[in-house]
Amino acid sequence: MKYEVYDELRTTDDYSIFEFESIGLNGNIPKRIEFTPTMVSGVYNLAFGDIDENDEIDDYNISNNGDRNKILATIAFAVDIYLNKYPDRWVYFRGSTQERTRLYRMAIAINLEELELKFQLFAEQKDDMVPFQKNIEVMGIIVKKK
Amino acid sequence: MKQSTQKHKSSLFKQEVTLVVDDSLNRLKGKVLAPRKLEAANKALSKLKVVLPK
Repeated sequence: MKYEVYDELRTTDDYSIFEFESIGLNGNIPKRIEFTPTMVSGVYNLAFGDIDENDEIDDYNISNNGDRNKILATIAFAVDIYLNKYPDRWVYFRGSTQERTRLYRMAIAINLEELELKFQLFAEQKDDMVPFQKNIEVMGIIVKKK
Repeated sequence: MKQSTQKHKSSLFKQEVTLVVDDSLNRLKGKVLAPRKLEAANKALSKLKVVLPK
């Protein structure tokens, strides 16, 4: 894929947390990615966003830093690193809003052929998981290394 | 503060990234830093009827 990523990431020794700085129109904004076990064995939730005053992830804030594609690519890079380390795990993610989920769906759809070479991708629909396809509505996405 | 640096190249991106394993970040390990997000994920995953392939 031809997208640029932020080229320095800080991480924990188990790769469960990544941090980087978004650099753009509104200055330098620290960003955090977290992978957390869910109630489903082997499935880990991906959370991403700004770091709030409680040191937690705020995934509602809109930074408007002009680097959306670079941020998405950096998150994808972190997922790639994480799943290389934990090839038996699934990573689940959805947007904090429907619009963001749609954005993630479109980003995956545009790069689907290349992503499918490396990953199994499923789309969450109402009560079901179906293989990811372009042009379907999704509520969440779940991915694992092939 | 101990740090170690690794270079990572992804087969997806034509770019090398510097990964800094940072001790100060390790203090956050095990904490849930997005509790509402995790709650929403658990709620969604609990409704799924399909077993994911191994």
